[in-house]
Amino acid sequence: MANSKVAIIASNGGLFDAYKVFNIASAAAASDAEVGIFFTFEGLNLIHKEAHKNLPLPEGREHFAEGFKQANVPSIEELVQVAQEMDVKLIGCQMTMDVMNLDKDQFIDGIEVGGAATFIEFAKDANITLTF
Amino acid sequence: MESVKVLDAKGLACPMPIVKTKKAMDQINSNEILEVHATDKGAENDLAAWVKSGGHEIVKSTEEDEVLKFWIKKG
Repeated sequence: MANSKVAIIASNGGLFDAYKVFNIASAAAASDAEVGIFFTFEGLNLIHKEAHKNLPLPEGREHFAEGFKQANVPSIEELVQVAQEMDVKLIGCQMTMDVMNLDKDQFIDGIEVGGAATFIEFAKDANITLTF
Repeated sequence: MESVKVLDAKGLACPMPIVKTKKAMDQINSNEILEVHATDKGAENDLAAWVKSGGHEIVKSTEEDEVLKFWIKKG
């Protein structure tokens, strides 16, 4: 996977969504791929300082909380840290931040803020493109 | 089989065994062997796929009392 690039769009803000995004991103980065994630609309929850520590389970699926504990699945905070340690690029969508009246300092450290063109520029030569 | 380093990844769930293996692998030299212990059942297929990405090789693997052990030679 060295010399390959993975471009991910994260547009949903639940706990399941967060695991999909950060597990795939971490596995790709651990396989030496260059990884970038564009967080837009509800996906911004995944990198919001407070929100990412307590993401909601889908309605009616709250009982999965126990399963996550039993399976010893890492927390989203931990996975974000892992992703950042492995140089996964985190891009927050400027337009959505404006719509939701959010500032960069309400997000975890180390993110970039950009628009659609920033992501397209990153993704133009990606080998794998995923949307969650 | 002589390993220069042993990684205890027991109890860890996906993707952590791969992440930890990657970090441990970065600390050894080419042709040296890393020994990985894991209990995540997905680790068997995941490690087999992961070694391909970095040009490494699983030279031996065992399963004993639900603990999977892998000896990975760094490429």
